[in-house]
Amino acid sequence: MPGTTIVVTSGKGGVGKTTTVANLGTALAMRGRSVVMVDADIGLRNLDVVMGLENRIVYNLVDIIEGRCRTEQAMIRDRKLNSLFLIPAAQTREKDAVHPDQMKELCEKLQQDFDYVLVDCPAGIERGFRNAVAGAQKAIVVTTPEVSAIRDADRVIGLLEAELMKDIQLIINRLNHKMVKRGDMMSTEDICSLLAIPLVGVIPESEEVVVSTNRGIPLVHEKRSSVAGAFRRIAARLEGEQVPIPADNAEEGGILSRFKRLIWSS
Amino acid sequence: MLDTIKRFFGDKKSGEVAKKRMQIVLLHDRLSISPEMLESIKNDILQVLSRYMEIDDRTIKVSIEKGENYAALVSNVQVKRVYRHVQQPSTESS
Repeated sequence: MPGTTIVVTSGKGGVGKTTTVANLGTALAMRGRSVVMVDADIGLRNLDVVMGLENRIVYNLVDIIEGRCRTEQAMIRDRKLNSLFLIPAAQTREKDAVHPDQMKELCEKLQQDFDYVLVDCPAGIERGFRNAVAGAQKAIVVTTPEVSAIRDADRVIGLLEAELMKDIQLIINRLNHKMVKRGDMMSTEDICSLLAIPLVGVIPESEEVVVSTNRGIPLVHEKRSSVAGAFRRIAARLEGEQVPIPADNAEEGGILSRFKRLIWSS
Repeated sequence: MLDTIKRFFGDKKSGEVAKKRMQIVLLHDRLSISPEMLESIKNDILQVLSRYMEIDDRTIKVSIEKGENYAALVSNVQVKRVYRHVQQPSTESS
């Protein structure tokens, strides 16, 4: 059975698309799935550094499209997981170097060999966006609880629907539970009612994300992290498991894990 | 400091303010309807109205009006005559 291509998009830059792709790809691979992540942000490649694979790049996405290498030659295997691969973006080329039809063809080819093809979409709504979306059957829209990110997410959802994308799901990133509690941040419920698409997960705001990208190791590998837990649950939901989404006011992980964290941090 | 800012912006929680603002912003954004769609809405309105009254279809205007706290679809058309009974839509295409 051919795999599924999922595009991760947002409209606004800096809301965590690349982090989401890296962690979801890793979480799915940890579940034993074969995954290839495609960095479609041509000219501004980043997924390689987030994954800690920047030193292994020989060929890139544009090299595949223009026939300078075979697809397998541009795929970089993850350092920890055997079933996880990355196709990096070209750093020195323009977005016009790729056409949506070529991207669609590549995704169809990759789906033959992989359970999941995760496409990291560039910010914006121009050519790069249309390229990234072209081959996808599913879309994940990432937003943060800020007005600018939500407005852009709404615009992107409209464009995805115009491209006849049927399966669009929402990830809310960097939710600060304390701020929601004191009324200074839009809640999960607020954002869902504004954007009106199904929610697939909420990622709490955490300094751990910066630390893990500093090291080039996706946070999902960290067992005790609440962010890691959130990404693992999203991976499970993508695979059709019924995992409830905790309410904003629910304490992450319950008393026991908080106690454990207390011991570990001291 | 935070209290000073809060006093400056009023008592409402900022999360609630953000939500209210976004409801209007997104409504306005989504109402950026293409001229073709507006034309299609106009034709549909004409079709429905003409079952109840005779109208001067050259006078119809359809537009989206956006205010600070609302958005409205405004349509104006000159009525010539009101029918006594509802006219069934004709089967023949005109």
